[in-house]
Amino acid sequence: VIQTSRVRAVRFLVDVYVEIFRGIPALTLLFILYFGLAYSRIRIESVPAAILGLGLVGGAILTEVFRSGFEALHHGQREAALAVGMTPIMAMRYIILPQAVRITLPPIGNYAIGLLKDTAIVSAIAAPEIMFYARNLVTSTFETTIIYVLVAILYFCLSFPLARIVGRLEERRRSWQ
Amino acid sequence: MSSFFQVYAENWSDWWPQLVPAMWNTVALTASSYLLAVVLGIILALGKLSKNRVVRALCKGYIEFVRGIPALVILFLLYFGLLPLGIVFDPFTAAVIGLGMNQGGYMAEVFRGGIEALHKGQREAALAVGMTPFEAYRHIIIPQAIRIVLPPLLNMLISLLKDTSICSLIAAPELMLRAKDIAAMAFRPMHIYLLVGVLYFMMAWPLSMITRRVEAHMRRGRRSTA
Repeated sequence: VIQTSRVRAVRFLVDVYVEIFRGIPALTLLFILYFGLAYSRIRIESVPAAILGLGLVGGAILTEVFRSGFEALHHGQREAALAVGMTPIMAMRYIILPQAVRITLPPIGNYAIGLLKDTAIVSAIAAPEIMFYARNLVTSTFETTIIYVLVAILYFCLSFPLARIVGRLEERRRSWQ
Repeated sequence: MSSFFQVYAENWSDWWPQLVPAMWNTVALTASSYLLAVVLGIILALGKLSKNRVVRALCKGYIEFVRGIPALVILFLLYFGLLPLGIVFDPFTAAVIGLGMNQGGYMAEVFRGGIEALHKGQREAALAVGMTPFEAYRHIIIPQAIRIVLPPLLNMLISLLKDTSICSLIAAPELMLRAKDIAAMAFRPMHIYLLVGVLYFMMAWPLSMITRRVEAHMRRGRRSTA
């Protein structure tokens, strides 16, 4: 929302945030948060660090998604809403947002799938998720092939239904366009 | 604050010579896996559009599966998972193959989208004027598909560049691994990882600038022909 703002300073700050977090790998950010901050005596547990890190990166990606959603709407929409006497907030609430949400829903779903898979790298800072347990199991059983194949299947089972839902959404969107 | 930067000043001569070759490795890793992904993507996209049902099902299955699992899992499967079967890759090769296989699945969808976005009549017209199917692809379909496909391809190059960082987890010699080594030796994780973040950004940002240019350029081109 803010990126379409007219205040230049606000827009600039958001631009910088988006560019920076789209430009550095999530893994690097996780390491900064988890190992880097620990050194400056700010200790974050691995799970909050993981959520914060992936959230910061995701925020930047979603900003772009939302922005393109807003921009896809003709600005006549907003002007028309203002012309019939709506306040800018009302126009945003009743005219712009409902339409923008429809446009952005499929990319948001795709992002959710991407995020699901990105959680795998969080095992590198010892956050307890599938990959982390898999690596632990491997070191205790040495059954590398079986365990990693199983993990792959598990992830697939998690993401495939999501992918299907997103596919549905995309089709529906195409049909009413 | 000044003491924070002083650490860089003191260690620069030590860190910089280590980070530069690592950066080149990251670039090499990105480039080679990207190339593999493009080739794989084209093959898969054509396979998915093929008339042979078995080929189509195979390609579709591959694309769905690879897009459904994390790149890290593929890397671990290739690097650690194949060890008991006696197949040993060095980390760099495993990284190239793993990332290439992963991105190939996404590329295939991009290429397919590009080819399908063209009206069927284009191909039919090409065949009607006596071109072979191959000539139709070469002279009619591909040149147009590239215009549609180029912006997403560039975006994928950027995300691939960042994805190479996870290859450090299978000890592929790239920027992130070097950073971990230095951090372990120097006990300055904050300094190192921030510096590496800046380095990644310096590699990714020009690319994203170029992508934005190309996107704008392509959009203009399409509007004028429409």
